[in-house]
Amino acid sequence: MQRAIEMLGIPTVLVTVEPEETVQARPPRALCPRGFVAGHSLGRPNDAALQKRILTDALGLLTGEPRPGEVIERDYTSAPAQG
Amino acid sequence: MEKEAPPKPLELSRYCVPFTPFRGKLEEVTLCVVSTAGVREKRDKPFDTEGDSTYRVISGEANGSDLTYDDTHYDHACADRDINCIFPIDRLRELATEQRIAGLAERHFSMGFSQALRDLRETTIPRLAREVDRARPGAVLLTGG
Repeated sequence: MQRAIEMLGIPTVLVTVEPEETVQARPPRALCPRGFVAGHSLGRPNDAALQKRILTDALGLLTGEPRPGEVIERDYTSAPAQG
Repeated sequence: MEKEAPPKPLELSRYCVPFTPFRGKLEEVTLCVVSTAGVREKRDKPFDTEGDSTYRVISGEANGSDLTYDDTHYDHACADRDINCIFPIDRLRELATEQRIAGLAERHFSMGFSQALRDLRETTIPRLAREVDRARPGAVLLTGG
């Protein structure tokens, strides 16, 4: 899906919690927030600060150095819990 | 004159990464969300959790409280408390209010769970991609479960 959209000339960024599978699909841009699994890939429930941090980091891949085909892993497990 | 979309998308080697550079600033981007987590508006038709290669359109006006999901393949403890864990619509709207992005697209999209890979590849994905193309967002955020 991501590749199809990117081929239309629209930049994309994927948030994934399955980096091994995702990297095989050669994504144009992908962020893997370590410490989360399917069901809460965008952060803990009712923790708006953490969710926004992950989102901002994902969107940051749009403006950052291009690394097509890679999955950028970042750790959010040390972020203080809220909510 | 508008060009008709080709019936079959160009196929690339899987080793080749399609890449569209992002030009401009995040503060100027209109963002569209495309999910594979079986998310839909509560008023919309449920996905078949056994396998469903259709997709649902989610209004750009929708809030998290307007949304639900149909799935039996990932842990629901978090999404039941806060749908933003899988479809961050309220958080993105907050980013727009804070002027960190320009806004949200008029339409977002979600697919359900499906193992009908050929159907997905030949029908669902090209169709959905055409819808995204018509919406012409500045960028697309893709989320799984």
